[in-house]
Formats: sequence, C-alpha cells, structure tokens
Amino acid sequence: MAGEPMAVDYYIPLIIFMIMGAIVPIAALAAVKIIAPLKPSRKKRSTYEGGLCPVRDAKIQYSVQYYLFAIVFVIFDVEVLFLYPWIYVYANKALQQFMVFGMNNAVFEMLLFIVVLLVGLVYAVKKEALRWV
Amino acid sequence: MDGIIEAISSFASQEPAIYYLIIGIIGAVVLSAVVNIGAMYVIWLEVKLLGDFSARYGPNRVGGRWGLLQIVADAIKLFTKEDSIPASADKPVYVWAPIVASMATMLVAAAIPFGALYFNGKYYPLVVANMDISAFYVEAALSLLVIAAFMAGYSSNNKYSLLGAFRGIARMISYEVPMGVCVISVAIMAHSLNLAEIAQNQTLWYAFAQPLGFGIFIVALITDLGRIPFDQSEAEEEIICGYTTEYGGIRWGLILFQEYNNMLLGSILLTLLFLGGWAGPIIPVPGLSIISPLIWMFMKVVIVLWFLIWTRSALLRLRIDQVTDLGWKVLLPLSIVNLAWAVVVGSYFA
Repeated sequence: MAGEPMAVDYYIPLIIFMIMGAIVPIAALAAVKIIAPLKPSRKKRSTYEGGLCPVRDAKIQYSVQYYLFAIVFVIFDVEVLFLYPWIYVYANKALQQFMVFGMNNAVFEMLLFIVVLLVGLVYAVKKEALRWV
Repeated sequence: MDGIIEAISSFASQEPAIYYLIIGIIGAVVLSAVVNIGAMYVIWLEVKLLGDFSARYGPNRVGGRWGLLQIVADAIKLFTKEDSIPASADKPVYVWAPIVASMATMLVAAAIPFGALYFNGKYYPLVVANMDISAFYVEAALSLLVIAAFMAGYSSNNKYSLLGAFRGIARMISYEVPMGVCVISVAIMAHSLNLAEIAQNQTLWYAFAQPLGFGIFIVALITDLGRIPFDQSEAEEEIICGYTTEYGGIRWGLILFQEYNNMLLGSILLTLLFLGGWAGPIIPVPGLSIISPLIWMFMKVVIVLWFLIWTRSALLRLRIDQVTDLGWKVLLPLSIVNLAWAVVVGSYFA
C-alpha cells in the first residue's frame, strides 16, 4: 500500500467516526439501565394524546400534496447535484474551449440549464404543486 | 517541529491506510469529547443569553456565579430519569433514532476543519478527513439529522409526533436546494470545494463578496438546525413537542444534545464558508502565534452562536406554509441570482 494516498483511504476515518457516534449514546443508554429506576405500568407506557386515551393508530394516510412536494424537491436537488461537477469545469481553464454570445461555454451551458429549471419552477408554482396543505 | 512534520508526512505517504486509521481513532476520541463538551457550553450559552435577553439572571447557582456547571447537573438529572418506551411504539426504530442522530453529527465533525495551527509562515488546518469535496459532504451530512427526526416521529406512533416528522421533512427539503446553491456560489469564487481551501482563499470575506448568499445561507442554516423561527417540527404551542413528544429522560436528552452539537458544527461551517475561517492577524507572541488562528476561529464561532441565539429570542415562529413558500418562491430564485453574481464577480476578480 505504498505511494500516494488513495481516495478510499480518506474515508477510513469516517467509518471510525460513525462507530464512535454510535458508541456514545449506547453507553449513555447502558448507564441509564444501571442507575435509573424502572417501574413500568400500562398507563405510563400509553401514548400521549392530550390526556385522553389515544384514538386509533397514528399511522395515517397523509395528503397527496405532500408527495408532490417531494417530487419537486427531487428534481431541484438533482439540479444542484449537476451544478457540483460544473464547479470543476468552471475552475479548469482547459475545459473551456469556445465562446458563445461573449460567454465561455461553461457559463453559457449552465445558464441554459438554470433557465430551463427556473421555467420548471414557475410551472410548479402556477400549478400549485408547492402549496402547503 | 519540522522534523516531526517531515516524519508524519513520509509515514502518511508510505502507509496511507494505517495513517488514516490512526488519525481516525485519535480524531474520533478527541473530537467526540470536543464536540460534546462544546455542545454542553452552547446549551449553557443559550440559557444564559436567553436569560439576559428577557432580563432574568439565567443559571447562577450551580458552579459559581455564572452557573457553569448547571448543564452538568441537568445531565445527571436526565441520567437518573426512568427510561420508558411507549407500548405502541415501533421499538427498534424508536431506540435507534437518537443513535442515528449522533452518528450523523460525528460524520459532520469528521470533515469540518475546527481551526488551524500557524508556524513557519504556513497554516496547517486541523481536520481529520481532508476531502476534496468536504463542502458538499458536510452539507449532505448536516441534512441527515432530519432522517433521525423522521425516525423518531414515525416510530412513536403518536399523531403529534407524526405531524412534526412530516413538517420536519418538508422544511428540510424546502431549504436544502437554496443552501446547496449558496455552497456552490462560494465554491465558484474559491475555485475549490475543500473547506480548508475555501477558508484560506478568502482575501475578501465572502460575507462581503456575496452578501445575498450570506443571508440565504444563514436562513437555510437556521432551518436545517430547526431553531426558532423555523422550528415547526417541534412547535410546542401547536403539536405538543413535535417529533420528541414520546421521548423522555436520556433518550430525549440525546436528541436535544445532537441539535446543539449540530448548532456548533453549523456555526463553524458558516464561519468557514463566509467569515474567512481562521483568517486574522497573527499575534506576534512566541507561544500564541501558533494557536492564534484557533483564537480567531473561536471568537468568530462565538459571535455566530450569539447571533443564532439572538434570532431565537427576537423572532416569532412562522407558519409551516409560510416557511415552505419562503424557501421555494423567494430563497430559491434569489440563490440563483446569487450564483449569477458569484460567476460575474468571481471571473472579474480571477
């Protein structure tokens, strides 16, 4: 494994950090098991609902409008993901070969991409896909 | 000092896997202590400042005149509380929600530079995983907390919790896109996605170079952290306690604690992206010159934390539809405008 650090090596600390992130709360929960009193009762373990007995299960069907929200989010989040590689193109002069309307190709192509998505946003707003229920 | 750095860098290039394993273990132990103790004092700062803002004393009994150990007393109380799980809850998910929140926080902490050391005219950033894309990575990992919040809300099997969880997701997705575009605008100006490089490339603080992006990022950050005026997922006047309604004792404490951990990490991220990171005049005293970037970083982070607490006590909670409207119909177009500004100004300066 000699030589330049590989991209994978940078991610070894992340695994250790994730494990460490799990150890701390598990240790806290274990400590509570030892020192805290435990006297469960049926009333104590019931769900809180304004002091009355809970009515029916809580796993309700939510409005379909919420689903539209998520769909619009996915579209725009993917837009942002496409912008990240563009930073590399923008910072790297070798990838900018020609000019369009006085702009270099990296700027122009991204401008086109963003305009199309903004039209999409206006459409979503007009169709009331972003109206909260 | 030079010899030590030489030896470390030659070892790192010969045995990268072992080097990153050792760095990871040391970093995980040190940073989990730093982040957790830091979060305790963020809570202390918040309680104390909220007291000041409403003309009360705040904590002033436990741990001297400033109540410095009040938070330790609170933690001991949480440890001795009965650990009660509701009978109708989805138990594995309910138990794992605080643990997932803690894992998400540590994943953020791994990639954030906490400061830098200065010697021989060079800055050495203090960061465990110095990735090329750390700005992107940190933004992604910061939004993992909402998954833990959804796990908590959904598994509790309580109507208020579920409403809080739905609201949390809607709020997060409305502000994720403007926040991402702001990070991109910063990266455009800095020509890098590495947080340490972004901090060092700021000859002019990006808070001044792109004030619009700075404002949008602050709003999106407050939303991501779920603080007033954007804490609809746990609005206590509307839905009891939101997604933490069914949590009590140490489990509730863990979720609350992760929110303050993330507040600390979010303030560091804001400082790195927009306030020049550890930039500041080097203090010309032999011992202090090495840690003077850390001192500047600490001062800036405390100011950002103070600002976040100030907005909490000064502003009112918005309605959930106002929040989503603000995100989609105002901040998203404005963040695109800021991106165009960054391209124009960035190419002018470069």
